[in-house]
Amino acid sequence: MSTRIVAVLLVTLLATGIAAATPAEPQRGGSAVVAIGGDPETLNLGITTGYAVGAVAASIFSGLVWIDARGEIQPGLATSWTTSPDGLIYAFELRRGVKWHDGRAFSAQDVKFTMEQVTGLYHGRFRPAYLNFESITVTSPQSLKITLKRPYAPLLRLLTVFDCPILPRHVYQGEDITRHSRNNDPVGTGPFKFREWVRGDRLVLERNDAYWDPVYLDRLIFRIIPGAALRVTALEVGEVDMVADFYLPKTDVDRLKRNPNVRLRLGQPIPSMGFMFINARRAPLDNPKVRRALALAINRVQIVTQAMGNLARPARGPFGDGFKWAHSPESDYNRLYPYNVERANALLDEAGLPRGAGGERPVRLRMVYDAARAPIAASAAIIRDNLRAVGITVDLQPMDRAVMIERIYTRPDYELTVQTFTSGGDPAIGYHRIYASAAPGVPFVNATGYSNPEVDALLNRAAEVPERAARGKIYAQVSKILAADLPTLMLFDEIGVDAARATLRGVWIGAEARDRWDAVWVQK
Amino acid sequence: MTAGSTPLWRYAAGRLAQAVPLLLGVVVVNFLLISLAPGDPVATLLGEYPAPPEYVAQLRREFGLDQPAPVRLALYAWNVARGELGFSFAYRLPVAALVVGRLGNTFLLMVTALTLAALVGVGLGVTAARRRGSGLDTAATGISLAGYSIPDFWLSQLLVLLFAVFLGWLPAQGIRSVREQYTGMAAVLDVARHLILPAAALSFRYMALISRLTRASMLEAMSQDFILAARARGLPERLVLLQHGLRNAALPVVTVIGYNFAFVLAGSALVETVFGWPGVGRLLYDAILQRDTPVLLGVLLMVSATVVVVNLLTDLLYAALDPRVRY
Repeated sequence: MSTRIVAVLLVTLLATGIAAATPAEPQRGGSAVVAIGGDPETLNLGITTGYAVGAVAASIFSGLVWIDARGEIQPGLATSWTTSPDGLIYAFELRRGVKWHDGRAFSAQDVKFTMEQVTGLYHGRFRPAYLNFESITVTSPQSLKITLKRPYAPLLRLLTVFDCPILPRHVYQGEDITRHSRNNDPVGTGPFKFREWVRGDRLVLERNDAYWDPVYLDRLIFRIIPGAALRVTALEVGEVDMVADFYLPKTDVDRLKRNPNVRLRLGQPIPSMGFMFINARRAPLDNPKVRRALALAINRVQIVTQAMGNLARPARGPFGDGFKWAHSPESDYNRLYPYNVERANALLDEAGLPRGAGGERPVRLRMVYDAARAPIAASAAIIRDNLRAVGITVDLQPMDRAVMIERIYTRPDYELTVQTFTSGGDPAIGYHRIYASAAPGVPFVNATGYSNPEVDALLNRAAEVPERAARGKIYAQVSKILAADLPTLMLFDEIGVDAARATLRGVWIGAEARDRWDAVWVQK
Repeated sequence: MTAGSTPLWRYAAGRLAQAVPLLLGVVVVNFLLISLAPGDPVATLLGEYPAPPEYVAQLRREFGLDQPAPVRLALYAWNVARGELGFSFAYRLPVAALVVGRLGNTFLLMVTALTLAALVGVGLGVTAARRRGSGLDTAATGISLAGYSIPDFWLSQLLVLLFAVFLGWLPAQGIRSVREQYTGMAAVLDVARHLILPAAALSFRYMALISRLTRASMLEAMSQDFILAARARGLPERLVLLQHGLRNAALPVVTVIGYNFAFVLAGSALVETVFGWPGVGRLLYDAILQRDTPVLLGVLLMVSATVVVVNLLTDLLYAALDPRVRY
């Protein structure tokens, strides 16, 4: 690199450093407007994993912990905790002086009630953790102890407001939790109180002055904007202040990068991946050789550059590279399945699928996907083109989400599909479901029909062992099997992008853009 | 006029009575179509992670989805007969409250759009007819062609780009500002500002339709003998045009406005989605995506009822405009 380029880079770095460092004094007052795509189905975050619900309710409720921008666990309603050496007992000290929005005092009984009566029963991510619980003992109004039947490594990560929001026992006890009227008008301990919900238009929260940390914004407003492109427009004209990754169309990111009034956060601490389920119940996809041929024939780099606009990295293995400690170089896709049409052709010939007179092989596959998601549709089209080059015909079948869920998970009636899953902060929370044996009929789990007892056992162990080094070894073992069997071809690790108006400060303290709005303030 | 015994009243009552089987048909056909369509409302509701199976089963029971379709249809029809539109799956609120709340916003948008379309369309049509073959006539034809051809959701996005992004004159989204809390007259003006772009987008197509139709009807009316007679009596041209020409030309125009009401309502779904306008069209669109059957049926039922009433009003207006028409 020439010295001039180095100098320019240094100056740029200094300038951004100074710009970020100077006006650091947060100002109180004003409001922030956040774009969401649709109405949340409820504001009771304890009974759903829906994204919009979390976007709004994460500011109304609190979790025992929160995850910071580096992916580290930080104290929330719990100020400290200890874990027994065998990983079976977790003891929590809770924050003192915390009040519910209706003025009642928060206590350990609320935590026990929430886990036993709400999130342990209804929450898609917390429920699997709760199945490992032996008991929850309230040791004092401000402390409690969780005893597990078997260790569960990602437990602490599942105590955030998104996975186990603490609900008020005095409101919900003895009542129908999923249909409670306060689900639309909730009482929490979070930095903002519920104020107004005009369906189809907006949700308004206002500052909770009794919150334990300073809260700067007077009001936090969620504006419902169904059109993806229009959300970006609203950000550009200043009608909204933030569009988080989940709601941001990636095609607009380049334009936003050039907008001086908008700041972006690229890359998220919580990995998520795009992948292709291969329905192994159907011939010839039941033959691992054919699945490996697909892996060799599909150009993951092309998908990343053309379908994902470079806002992704080509997948490196069965668990991606988002969790460095869980990635095994031995099972690296770049080594096993580099894009290689020749080898793919040879494998298909070997598998007894020779090309016919027209150059086509006797294989016709239906690619089913959610039509509303442009990057997924583009990935599917690239896969079709890639497979045509090795003589396989792919019929694209875009459909709306409800039908897609039925075709992939409920029935299942497809050969190929592109899906994306979030890890939830740990492979055991979000990625095990891609490979673990699953009965058909359940949405958002392994839909390939692949079932391998050895893989199941290894995944269970990986969830139980607390130390990362030891877990890494287990993931290396299971990755070796999964990379060879290839029930699912991982395509890319997503690089998330959140966009905010430059006047919005203190954003992105948390791993998720939905978290920690108490720290956010408006530069006047 | 005592309303109780006039033939007009009887006509209107008869028409409304005819609407009952129609509405029943709307409910049954739509219910069956929705039942046949793939997609499970519970699966679309519970986020991106597998929900606990017991919870899914509980929701299916609550939503009545564990019952066979004929039982659900009978239950639904019974509830509708009692004035109960059911409970939304996706919003977990009574359907009637949801739909009524949104219907007001949609009517505001539609009435504004249709008024705009009628005023501009009739104006353009009359002018074009009066100056047949002139540059103005050609321009009006061009505008109409554009109005017919441009899809309204695309036009909506163009309007947003031009007036909200580049010029910054008008808001891009929603029905009112969320940052400022206006009250009184300021609130009315705020809604009016938000109304301009979606109403313009929705009206364009009908403006084109009305201007073409007005032009043709005017040309026909103006060639009639009574116009010649009016002119011969020395009436000023303005009066000839408006009182004799337009009044006779107005009939087909009124028909078009009345009978296109349902199409405007349908078109509003897309316009509302682009502009984030919280109307019934968008509610319908979301309900389709979420398989929110009770909302879907409730909206269709209310829309059908509205169309029946508007068509009836159109017929009555027809009678008022044309003394020859009697019911």
